[in-house]
Amino acid sequence: MAPRSIWNGTITFGLVNVPIKLYSATESKTVHFHEVHLRDGAQIEYRRFCSKEDKEVEYKDVVKGYEVSEGTYVVLEKDEVKAAAGDRGKVVHLTEFVPAAQIDPVFYEKTYYVGSGEAKDAYRLLHEALRRSGRAGIGRFTFHDREYLVAVRALDDVLALHTLRFHDEVVSGDELEIEPGSRRPSRQELQMADRLIDALQEDFDPSKYEDSYREAVLDLIKRKGKGEEIDLAEQEEPAHGDDLMAALEASLGSR
Amino acid sequence: MARPLWSGSLSFGLVNVPVQLVTAARDLDFHFHELHEKDNARIEQRRFCTKEDEEVTWEEVAHSYDLDGKQVVVTDDELGSVQPRKTRTIEVEAFVELADVEPIFFNHPYFLVPAGESEGTLRAYRLLVDAMGKSGRAALGRFVMRTKEYLAAVRVRDGALTLTTMLFEDEVRPSSAIPTGGKKPSKKEVDQAVTLIEELSTDWEPDRYEDCYRERLRRVIEDKRKRRKIEPPEPEKQPSATPDLMAALEATLANARAGRPIREEPSSNGDRSELERLNKDDLGERAKKAGIKGRTKMSKKELIEALSDG
Repeated sequence: MAPRSIWNGTITFGLVNVPIKLYSATESKTVHFHEVHLRDGAQIEYRRFCSKEDKEVEYKDVVKGYEVSEGTYVVLEKDEVKAAAGDRGKVVHLTEFVPAAQIDPVFYEKTYYVGSGEAKDAYRLLHEALRRSGRAGIGRFTFHDREYLVAVRALDDVLALHTLRFHDEVVSGDELEIEPGSRRPSRQELQMADRLIDALQEDFDPSKYEDSYREAVLDLIKRKGKGEEIDLAEQEEPAHGDDLMAALEASLGSR
Repeated sequence: MARPLWSGSLSFGLVNVPVQLVTAARDLDFHFHELHEKDNARIEQRRFCTKEDEEVTWEEVAHSYDLDGKQVVVTDDELGSVQPRKTRTIEVEAFVELADVEPIFFNHPYFLVPAGESEGTLRAYRLLVDAMGKSGRAALGRFVMRTKEYLAAVRVRDGALTLTTMLFEDEVRPSSAIPTGGKKPSKKEVDQAVTLIEELSTDWEPDRYEDCYRERLRRVIEDKRKRRKIEPPEPEKQPSATPDLMAALEATLANARAGRPIREEPSSNGDRSELERLNKDDLGERAKKAGIKGRTKMSKKELIEALSDG
């Protein structure tokens, strides 16, 4: 069954218009709980209260305000927030292309799959051209009244649209002020570390990594569901020694 | 430096480096508060027990999971007991080529900084930076922060260890059901499209892209504060599918080479319907070229008027 699209629009590169549909490419599998009252197991619900009157407030009497200074708010109507979305509508203009490999992982935010709309030939052509050139098209995308910077690239047989962080949203290493330490690692230590990296080198295979914590939580729920007593065991911390060389040697020796 | 979100150690073979996790992404969005319309006072969310209809403090809250229709209640302590061993450790399980990691897996970026200033810690940290920095490789490992286990890639950026949390494989949906289709493009079409992409290519320079949305929202807030009228702009019309791909590619390439806006129609001479298809940024660009005065203060409609008069 075809998945449900979440946005229909057009990607353009120059005068070529490619009608497209967007699909979620990712989903969180985190175990979600409801909040309940410990005493009686009843659901917890959240109610809105006016902090001044100490009275419950209905949702229709709630507005959104931006705090310009302590306690002073500028209230925006829904339509006014919409005005910030700009006039781009449902179009993503790819205005320039960059080598996809140059985009540092730190910029990638969220990924969507791009499927074809009508005019499937144009979709196929864009996919093939991006795949062959190894480039990503850069453009802007308006979704739920918010504009994003995006990169569109070929991912296997489909196109992917990645929302990107803006440069000022990314913290640079220079801002960290890390102490350099008085003694640099010795050449011998570096060589040992190199050998250790080589020994642990492998191809990237995401299927090797399972969320064992999620499994453990689900298992806990099942055991609790059967009425089992849960053992609240203590955790142990790894020791860390100061002898780098000995630790490196021992690591290599144990392989 | 930002407040550490997690403290523990990065473990590499038998080398343990005490580290702290700080975020590498800053939130510059404007955040709004819920207010009571009548008196502009802040709205508070209060927890209520739906059975007793009484307010509940957070100490009295437990977590419940719907296990095939049966409610199973677990406490924070019980959840804590199943956190994997070595929960305060990011254990390096493997090194991979960073270029082989598909960007779809990347989630949130952080930095790992040395915890404390002991000589041993600083030197072990430096060793990892030096050894990993030159190899272009990323270390993969898992760790638990708050109530979730993360897969993470650790590598060197700007002379520091940076950690990016990643999605697990089953959190990435398969793309096999996404509609693609279409006939295989001819070699000539692909060549022409690649030539066009190369013509429009540049290096990735993130500084060139500003968050226009943030700026527009700032202006909307400012306008509202000064009681100016705020009008939502007319959204750009949806362009129709291109009938002749080859002709469109050729016309675009001609535009790119002549330094014209790439979406300028070949027959274009300020034709009104064509102008109406452009968005405000493009119209502004044209108005600038045409030397129209007062263009920055014009609405989209006024820009179209001014351009079609010219």
